[in-house]
Amino acid sequence: MGIPSAPLVTKAFKDLAILNAAKRGMPHERICFTPHPVWGKTPEEVRAYVEGPDPVSGKPLMKEIVDALTAPLSDDEKKSGMVSVSVGPPTFTDTADNLQEFYLNNGYTDFLPIIIPTEEKVDAMMKGTSHKPDEAVGKMAAGAYPAWSYNVRQVAASAVMAGCRPEYFPIVLAVASSGIASLFSSTNSFAFAMVVNGPIRDKLEFNYGIGALGPFAQPNATIGRAWTILSKNLGNGGIAGDTYLGSLGNNLNYNNVVIAEHEDASPWVPFHVQRGFKKEENVVSLFRGLGVVPGQVARGSSANENVQFDYQMSDLFSTFTGFFGALIIADPLVAARLKEQGYDTKEKLVDWLYKNTTQTVKDYKSRNYAYLFDYPRALRGDEPWASWYKMPDDALIPHFPHASDINIVVAGGQTNAYPQAGNLSYGVSVSIDKWM
Amino acid sequence: MSPALLATTATEGQQHATAAKNSFASGRDKITGVNPKGTPPAIQLIPMAPRLDTLNGKTVYLVDTGFHGSDVLLHQIEAWFGRNMPGTTVVFRRKAGPYMEDDPNLWKEIKAKGNAVIMAVGH
Repeated sequence: MGIPSAPLVTKAFKDLAILNAAKRGMPHERICFTPHPVWGKTPEEVRAYVEGPDPVSGKPLMKEIVDALTAPLSDDEKKSGMVSVSVGPPTFTDTADNLQEFYLNNGYTDFLPIIIPTEEKVDAMMKGTSHKPDEAVGKMAAGAYPAWSYNVRQVAASAVMAGCRPEYFPIVLAVASSGIASLFSSTNSFAFAMVVNGPIRDKLEFNYGIGALGPFAQPNATIGRAWTILSKNLGNGGIAGDTYLGSLGNNLNYNNVVIAEHEDASPWVPFHVQRGFKKEENVVSLFRGLGVVPGQVARGSSANENVQFDYQMSDLFSTFTGFFGALIIADPLVAARLKEQGYDTKEKLVDWLYKNTTQTVKDYKSRNYAYLFDYPRALRGDEPWASWYKMPDDALIPHFPHASDINIVVAGGQTNAYPQAGNLSYGVSVSIDKWM
Repeated sequence: MSPALLATTATEGQQHATAAKNSFASGRDKITGVNPKGTPPAIQLIPMAPRLDTLNGKTVYLVDTGFHGSDVLLHQIEAWFGRNMPGTTVVFRRKAGPYMEDDPNLWKEIKAKGNAVIMAVGH
């Protein structure tokens, strides 16, 4: 704007604020700090912040702010031009044990042992695709900073480290090409999921039967892990305090939620067909949200012949933030029962869930995400939030803004009739075949 | 902070590698691993806007990003100006949309009518 500014940030985000300003070209930005947190403090408590010191500099906060706007600029603050950023040499040479430590100590791993990405193994990985090593794959940023770019060879290194076989590589490339990092900077500790559809599930021997979401097959385990490792290495994500701020973190980030849909046992069309692909195409679809909850916690979930899975799913949604959508993972037994009850398409079930999972306006307004994300949209006139905020407190509104926020896939071993549900939003579906 | 500090991963990495070689590597076969990092963009340095001589007689916009408590904090700053720098005109605005979305209309208004900005806050 060409106007002096004084950004004010709480102390907990000191490193993030300084580093982000530098990444965006203002390494000397005059950032002022208040104690943390501001959220939940009374006006009197906040007045003490304003009249007290900046907890970083120790100087009176308001003097710091006034100085930020009026003190003459230094030569460094007036600088323009380009600054290159190095990530180090192209290779590292040492013993295998020392390199294992080296990769771990430098933040290249998920803190589990890795396969050292030797040039031989990276070359072998690249035989899993017809694409050239230096071909651009995509760009990725795990937060509000300029995205990093990467080519096929750089993706291959992370795939090796995660333990992938070369035949898995097209899926890893498809995920990388999306630009979606599985580690995101939010303080909310996001979780991520991928749904794999098409013949490649059988060709690579994905597990979509007993223990479909567990550690029981190499492609499920390593492709999910590769997403996190490449998010660290290619998107510069997962640096605590800098590009990752999740307060509690999320255990699902180790290898993410990898779901190969049990297409043959499903009474419904596969997920990728819903998204416009042909059944014989190989597709990976990516989701982002907060996590997955088991269906056993829902009311009325005891296994009896009258169990109503639609009501169970609706009950699960009541604990979800409406900021993210829902991804139902239905065991084939659940899906078959739902079809018997009249839900012969996924769309019919989604429509029922959308219309019958409701909340009062009062409850809705009390939710954190509503204030932070939806209320500003309502002020701007965006629907449906603008209408919701005009309704009386006892009015009933849908739990999710749109029916399309609810998605369904089928997986599991049919040893018992349980669904799980993720508070996860659909992001994008990417062709795996394109990366063969 | 120097932008060079953004490359700490590489710098520390080289230091670790050297230390590892000196401490443990003797007498064992060595292998070569590739650097798995992607390619960061170059940074375009942006000169900071010229500062004001004084805030007296000037208009300062207080911009609420929408995070919880930002409005409470900025209204206390507004009150501080009233008590301590009454010659400064203070204008409170809530940025349109969620915190992560841009608000070009507000920036246009500030450029036309304001002399400085205080923006707050995160959590």
